[in-house]
Amino acid sequence: MRLYDIVVLVTPDLSDEDAAKVAAEYKKVLVDGGANVVKEEPWGKRRLAFPILRKREAHYHYWQVEAPPAVVAEAERRMRLSDQVLRHLAVRVDEELTRAAKMAERLRLKAIKRPPRPPSATVAPGEASPAAPERSES
Amino acid sequence: MRMGGGSGRPSGARGAAAGKDAKGGPRKKFFVRRRKVCKFCAEKIEYIDWKDVKMLQGFIPERGKILPRRISGTCALHQRKLQTAIKRARSIALLPYATD
Repeated sequence: MRLYDIVVLVTPDLSDEDAAKVAAEYKKVLVDGGANVVKEEPWGKRRLAFPILRKREAHYHYWQVEAPPAVVAEAERRMRLSDQVLRHLAVRVDEELTRAAKMAERLRLKAIKRPPRPPSATVAPGEASPAAPERSES
Repeated sequence: MRMGGGSGRPSGARGAAAGKDAKGGPRKKFFVRRRKVCKFCAEKIEYIDWKDVKMLQGFIPERGKILPRRISGTCALHQRKLQTAIKRARSIALLPYATD
């Protein structure tokens, strides 16, 4: 099971409800395959930054999903086949999130461990040699 | 490799030769340039979210290109992450590839 961010862009030709239905189909594919929906956000009808297939808007639907890779691949395949889906994006985010959390933790520890800067740094600006080892310490 | 060698310490080299410092170049001290700090380091944002369009837009000048590090002051690590975030946002038309 991996964590994915998935976004589907559904044609603006459909009404909000119909677009939601189309999106729900893909969600069903994911859930039936054993996926676990963590977050679900319909972003609504948004302007596109550039036209896609002559369309300037699209219904955005976003999920964060915990799913086995094969299921996501299958959902993506179906999205590609559909005419109602302008674009889609599925990216794996668990690794990035854990790495970010780790970094944040490390920063936190570092902030605690490091004593407040001694004011002596301003006392002797002319002497370069004692400043060098001080820098390599950090 | 001596790191302290005067370049970071204006007070040490302020004599007659201040203008011709090795790194200082031809630019004289008309104004003190503000030190650029990586936004993400300063705000301790580790995960750069590609869905956060408003934040990403700050790194997209009019033309739609990604703002270079040398201008924004973002650190290498975060610039790399920012880059992938912007590219992801572009692929689903949240951000433009180019505008004119």
